[in-house]
Amino acid sequence: MKARDVIVKIVEHPVVPYLVLTVFTVLMVSPIILIFLNSFKSSAETFAWPPTIIPKRFTLEAYMRVISSPIPMNLRNSVILALSTTAIVLLIAVPSAYGISKYPFRGSKLLMLSYLASRIVPPLSLLIPFYMLFSQLKLLNTLTALIIVNTYMCFPLVVWMLKGFFDEFPQELIDAALIDGCSKLGTMFRVVIPVSMTAIAAAGIITFLWTWNEFIYAIILTSSKDVFPMTVGIFYFVGDEVIEWNSLSAVAIFTSLPAIVFFVLFQKYIVEGLVKGAIKM
Amino acid sequence: MRKIPFGLLLSLPGIIFLLVLVLYPLSMLFSVSFLRYDYVHPVTFYGFTNYIKIFNNRVFWLSLKNTIVYCVGVTSMTTIIGVILAAAVARIRRFSTVFRTLLILPWAVPLVVSGLIWRWMLDPGVGVYNYLLVLIGVSKQPINLFADPVLAMITCIIADSWTKIPFMFVLVLAGIKSIPPDLYEAARVDGASMIDTFRHITIPLSKSSILTGVLITSMFSFRTIDAIWSMTRGGPAKATYVLGFDLIDYLTSYMDFGMGCAVGVIMLVLISMFSGLLIYYLLRG
Repeated sequence: MKARDVIVKIVEHPVVPYLVLTVFTVLMVSPIILIFLNSFKSSAETFAWPPTIIPKRFTLEAYMRVISSPIPMNLRNSVILALSTTAIVLLIAVPSAYGISKYPFRGSKLLMLSYLASRIVPPLSLLIPFYMLFSQLKLLNTLTALIIVNTYMCFPLVVWMLKGFFDEFPQELIDAALIDGCSKLGTMFRVVIPVSMTAIAAAGIITFLWTWNEFIYAIILTSSKDVFPMTVGIFYFVGDEVIEWNSLSAVAIFTSLPAIVFFVLFQKYIVEGLVKGAIKM
Repeated sequence: MRKIPFGLLLSLPGIIFLLVLVLYPLSMLFSVSFLRYDYVHPVTFYGFTNYIKIFNNRVFWLSLKNTIVYCVGVTSMTTIIGVILAAAVARIRRFSTVFRTLLILPWAVPLVVSGLIWRWMLDPGVGVYNYLLVLIGVSKQPINLFADPVLAMITCIIADSWTKIPFMFVLVLAGIKSIPPDLYEAARVDGASMIDTFRHITIPLSKSSILTGVLITSMFSFRTIDAIWSMTRGGPAKATYVLGFDLIDYLTSYMDFGMGCAVGVIMLVLISMFSGLLIYYLLRG
């Protein structure tokens, strides 16, 4: 009984949650900080034992190495890939979600269920069918193929996310526009979309990040350096014998940067959207 | 002729995408799994032969076992730490936004990069964390985690959990925040300790969000291999070889599309069973 009382005393102390959180926050954030610091080391220093935490001498050696490697091209590919996928996904998902939400038709429930069901299919299962299709269409090793598969992976979920949002959109606003003589399509473009911009932007950012982070399809479907996105390009510094840790660290920071920026700036919208979207799995 | 309903018109592009990008590859997956489809023999109908061959293959059972170990490991680690963090943040008054923002950050790191980061930190030759283990006296020499089958699996689990904990944390925190505070006050008046309220109020009332998190985390760890790819690529001696690697090897090493698709179908069936559970639970409330 006494031991239990001591434990209760300790747990109830107001400092305890701060202590627990500090320890875990250090554990959770330290990899990012350590890899950031590592990118400023000289390559000799990255191979020294014992390893240093803060570089003895800050150098931009790794960044110079990265700039002269295929990474800038991979960065360009990732940007093109993520932006095109986002544009296509939003272009299809916004009208679909709006139509299903505000003008339900026969079979719209079934359609929503099919979107849900298509999310359950693990992307890995469809890897070989997509590979066969792209090899028939001569699309292997192209960005087009990657845009197509990423669209497949993102758009059902974005429809779900946006449908949930449009369901809460005030019907009075739509009715008012219709009474004022706006066409149904005009109402969508001039009233609904501008008012829903935050939700659409959040869905867009989430699509961008998913596409940016995708790896398995990218490494299987592409085979040359000038088509690789960042997630595949980073392996340029992973050799059979030696890993160039400082350059790899620099690329790791670059690859994580867009998401970190979005998460810090738009935390509320993105986290909400991601959680809602994931629950709709 | 009757006019097409406006809603259907708007959804038409989506329907076409669904048919072309999901249904068509899916039908290919099933049909190819019943074919003898490799680069050696002419393509012929093969019945259930691919499946029988897979079920008789030791590597398949090994990869299934590894997948389950990995899945259970990632899910339990993510859940335990996620719940602890959520409960701690729910209790504090000051700095909660700071902690929340910092704790979410690993979510931003692509899984494949997370594997590389942890591979670096735990590397026996250059890794900071491995050095810390030596400093605090866990071992005299740096441990080569990637050469030991059990330790390699554990490091993969850590790298994967690291990016999944933030999601669990956010989900459970939302669940805890929605519990009415007067419940706690009433319990305190009745003399309940914080451990009692945690066990009898916090956990039962945020059960649905915890369970949702558990099911989603297990589903994702079941089907993603990014972190393992960049850490051990299935090694050492197939200790971290999960189902996804089995499937990919049929494509890249053996060029046997029939067998690969059969593995894909098995994965799909297993995941559907999981998801069925999730949907059943969510629909029931």
